Amino acid sequence: MANHSTSHPTHVQHHFVDSDQQFDTAKLGMWVFLVNEILFFGGLFCAYIVYRAWYPELFQMAALELNTFWGAVNTVVLIGSSLTVAMAIRSAQKNQMKGLKINLLITIALAVVFMVIKGFEYAHKFELGIFPGDFYTYEGLDHPQANVFFGIYYMLTGVHALHVLIGIGLIFWIYLRARKGEFNSEYYTPVEITGLYWHLVDLIWIFLFPLLYLIE
Amino acid sequence: MSEHNHEHHVSTAGQLWAVATALFILTIITVVVAKFISIPPPFDVITAISIALVKAFLVAAFFMNLYWDTKFNTILLFMAVAFFILMISITLLDTMYRNDVVPSF
Repeated sequence: MANHSTSHPTHVQHHFVDSDQQFDTAKLGMWVFLVNEILFFGGLFCAYIVYRAWYPELFQMAALELNTFWGAVNTVVLIGSSLTVAMAIRSAQKNQMKGLKINLLITIALAVVFMVIKGFEYAHKFELGIFPGDFYTYEGLDHPQANVFFGIYYMLTGVHALHVLIGIGLIFWIYLRARKGEFNSEYYTPVEITGLYWHLVDLIWIFLFPLLYLIE
Repeated sequence: MSEHNHEHHVSTAGQLWAVATALFILTIITVVVAKFISIPPPFDVITAISIALVKAFLVAAFFMNLYWDTKFNTILLFMAVAFFILMISITLLDTMYRNDVVPSF
């Protein structure tokens, strides 16, 4: 059995040499997960690319059904939330616990704004009868494969929205832990890791927005 | 950067705001280019994807801290991108050279 040094900070688990090794290991693990996430969304982007290559005219017609203004607003909202997450991590690094909690709450608020706008966009489409796959009843698009575009649209934006919802849950959990005073400038690994996840959600949207909304 | 291994990089608030401002401006540019300037295809898609790639670089390098991080995490990101390109390349080699698209697809 290894001798446990009493000088170890309490957050360091016994199988790590020191706090830095634990931090770097956690980050590496998160990056491996993010690789997994990129390839998971990659499959959906692949479907998008294949169908766009087959039916370029469909994608141009169908994109007109999407509201560029609200898509752009959501892009700005998500970039803003990425900024506040980065600010939250900075606050934790500088031992400013109040700043950490405020920035986490702003991030959650922005994420909720994103979901509300997304909800209104979905509701508008459902009213028109734009449902995915066989449930598609909209008459306004003169193309036999019109439902295919929206199948891809709902999968890409739906899985992304699911990631936003999970992100809201994770950031709220980090907020609760911050309130209990679990983080300081020596130990903020969960804040950093959750931040990486949130930035990836932002990254995916950075590609989704032009690919779905900005096709003329 | 040649920082000592045991110190984590702390970005200044000004740096983070600068990155976010650049991202906001690029978002406006990509909308304006797509909606008000008609670039002939395929260059419209190329422009949109190029701007998205610049935005992705800014997020990955400065929000996700890859610029100051261990290089191994950057390698992981590039591996993900490389395998994504491999996946779409092999798929397109099939789908682009079929005589008949599968009916109802």
